[in-house]
Amino acid sequence: MPEPQITVSHLTKTYRVPQREPGLRAAVRSLVHREYRDVEAVRDISFAITAGEVVGFIGPNGAGKTTTLKMLAGLLHPTGGDARVAGHVPWQRRPDYLRRISMVMGNKSQMLWDIPPLDTFLVLREIYRVPAAEFQQTLDELVALLDMSDLLTKPVRNLSLGERMKCEMVAALLHRPAVLFLDEPTLGLDVSIQRRLRRFIAEYNRRSGATVILTSHYMADVAELCPRVILIHHGVLLYDGPLGGLVERLAPFKLIRLTLDGARDEALPDGLEVIEQENGRLVLRAARRDTPALTARLLSTLPVIDLAVEDPPVDAVIDQIYQEGSV
Amino acid sequence: MNHRGGWALIRRTWASWMQYRGFFFLLAFGWMIPPLVYLFVWSTAAGGATVGGFSRGEFVAYYLVLILVNQLTYAQTNWIVGDVIRGGGMSQWLLYPLAPAYHVLSSELAGKVVYMIFVVPVTAVLAITLKPELHASLADVLAFVPALIFAWMLRFLWGYWLALLAFWSTRADALLAVQDALVFLLAGQVAPVALLPGVLGSAAEMLPFRYMVGFPVEVLTGQVSGTELATGFALQVGWLAVALGLTWILWRRGVRHYAAVGG
Amino acid sequence: MRAYATLIGQFIRASVQQELAYRANFLISLMHSLLNAATGVLGVAVLFGQVETVRGWDLGATLAVLGVYLTVGALRDLVISPSLDALAGMDGEVWTGRLDFTLLRPVDIQFLASVRHWRPFALVDLVIGIGVLVAAAARLDAAPGPGDLGAFLVAFGAGLLALYAVLLAFIGLTFWSPGFLFSWVFSGLFQMARYPVGLYPGWMRLALTWVVPVGIITTVPAQALAGDVGPGLLAGSVIAAVGLFAGATALFRAGLRRYASASS
Repeated sequence: MPEPQITVSHLTKTYRVPQREPGLRAAVRSLVHREYRDVEAVRDISFAITAGEVVGFIGPNGAGKTTTLKMLAGLLHPTGGDARVAGHVPWQRRPDYLRRISMVMGNKSQMLWDIPPLDTFLVLREIYRVPAAEFQQTLDELVALLDMSDLLTKPVRNLSLGERMKCEMVAALLHRPAVLFLDEPTLGLDVSIQRRLRRFIAEYNRRSGATVILTSHYMADVAELCPRVILIHHGVLLYDGPLGGLVERLAPFKLIRLTLDGARDEALPDGLEVIEQENGRLVLRAARRDTPALTARLLSTLPVIDLAVEDPPVDAVIDQIYQEGSV
Repeated sequence: MNHRGGWALIRRTWASWMQYRGFFFLLAFGWMIPPLVYLFVWSTAAGGATVGGFSRGEFVAYYLVLILVNQLTYAQTNWIVGDVIRGGGMSQWLLYPLAPAYHVLSSELAGKVVYMIFVVPVTAVLAITLKPELHASLADVLAFVPALIFAWMLRFLWGYWLALLAFWSTRADALLAVQDALVFLLAGQVAPVALLPGVLGSAAEMLPFRYMVGFPVEVLTGQVSGTELATGFALQVGWLAVALGLTWILWRRGVRHYAAVGG
Repeated sequence: MRAYATLIGQFIRASVQQELAYRANFLISLMHSLLNAATGVLGVAVLFGQVETVRGWDLGATLAVLGVYLTVGALRDLVISPSLDALAGMDGEVWTGRLDFTLLRPVDIQFLASVRHWRPFALVDLVIGIGVLVAAAARLDAAPGPGDLGAFLVAFGAGLLALYAVLLAFIGLTFWSPGFLFSWVFSGLFQMARYPVGLYPGWMRLALTWVVPVGIITTVPAQALAGDVGPGLLAGSVIAAVGLFAGATALFRAGLRRYASASS
């Protein structure tokens, strides 16, 4: 068992957020006496990752995934706990450490806006002190993999969102980092670009052996890229293991949406739970295994105008898991 | 003319600007500083005696009035006209059953009220501290009101026709910056127009800039009367007519051009 | 050291390209710069057309203050302002969280934040400012000798350092109040640096020495050029500038520690 590249133990991050009631009197009072509320963004998280793994952090918005990622990238100081990445303590922000990591954020751009991407790459080359030959080789390789040679000379503001994200990926990898943090990289992109990027990330990981940590709330990203997922919810690590096991446990049921013509005078078949009921519309829940059979019975016994079978939304499922307290 | 719509727009603009009053107060603060600098410089230069016929107190009075007049006549909205044209928002404006002038006017009025809420008290405090000497007769005050109104209209329209050049060229706001610099020099900020020597002084008396800021100030501080007052008003109204004409022509040509190039 | 120089070279190159991408009208900008300088010069000329001296300051010396003001302003607009201002305001790096990227670089943040963006057009303003300085030097009672020039360079350097420190301190404050237009407030107050500090009333001079140190930034260098500054004042100026720099750096780094990047 190789020595882990990333070890995290009991990592905690608590924010103090100032509290303010609305209104003038409260505003004046707040000048003298500030009230704070503690927000526990990350609570006692521990895990270990070996070099070259591709791990996905999943969980709903505000779960603490990005906060954890930022602590590992050295952008935030934890309130408690410890972490070591590639032999360094991230938040000490040693230049040697910073040269070995990289981060891509789906909702923020690091490209200079009015000039072609190549010019930003040249500046980054200088910042990271990449030797010229190596830079050219890396650039050519990345551009070929992403098929973006015609984009290099267009001003960034003229590129589409997907094209810009390709540039972000190149910018992040020019200095060949050992660890790559991807924070929602496919946010807002169309389906074909998403797939493109996923293939790229997988291929890059295969070729370079870089460790990739990805956060996303698109299950498709995680399913395609990450053999291992870490589920974080309300700052707590709920699951750490292969994706297959989690999917099974996360979504053991399906949702059936029905639109009925007229009133329902038959009782529903067993094994169905009513989630919503309004006028002629029903939302039912059934165990995954039983859904095909139950659907057939519903169609034959009820006056169904419209029927749809859906996976439950991951957020709702995770929320339910949390309410139940465990996976 | 859709007056009700216009009035509602003005009220709503004012309400939304008041939300950001901290921001606008800061802007007003920034605009107040240059006249204050010259206030201090000239009043120190006058010391116990007079300079160019002005005593220390008279300089203080002149510049305090200038601060108020400058704020009241400054047409800040001309900057957004260009933006609106370039950004394509003009299409939206042209769609409303409301002359676009209302949009501009509403933000003018709203802005003035918000700025004055800051500038008037600060000027009052400065007046108490610095002790101005103001010799204003009733005639001066009565003449001041139309002079002020014309000054605002002139400054607004002059900047407006410049801003309308944005229909044709994307760099019109650079011209507005030049216009601001010219106003600064020739309109009585750097020095009361009466103190400008030779060619500069003559030019300042002929060009429209004095009539945008300096002229009302001179009226209220009792510097102009009789024939000078009449000539001044004549020139002010004359330039106002020119500005109106230019605005009218450019607006009609501009809208046609805008529609022709697809907005 | 060489690495830092190459890095700055890259920043300048990228900035030049960005400025060219805008294709702002060079002629209008030039006209604007000349007009601004002319307004300043004319203001001084009109004043001294009416009086000989004001509190011991004559045309040459006052023009020198203006020259320093324009030159220091040009240097500020050349690199300090474009770089630091990228952090402040509603679309600045602190508010939007893009500071994260800057924090990830293996280069000192203060260095990055101070020399990252250049505005090459300010070189025109620099030439104009130096022109005014030279014209002022010619108008002085006594032409500046080598000693005066040396003192001037020291005082100018101290003034520039003080200006950088104040701007840096304002940016530091941005971490506590990201939306606030500190630089606008400062630009307003900095207008007072056009004229010698001695021209302002006593109570203002205090504020102008300690809050916005215009005395150090423009008045002392002009005095040095006029041969009117003793070693004590010069040394005091340098010490104050260094002190301001240390304080501003501390404030900036304290602000960085406080920075918890805008989440998600």
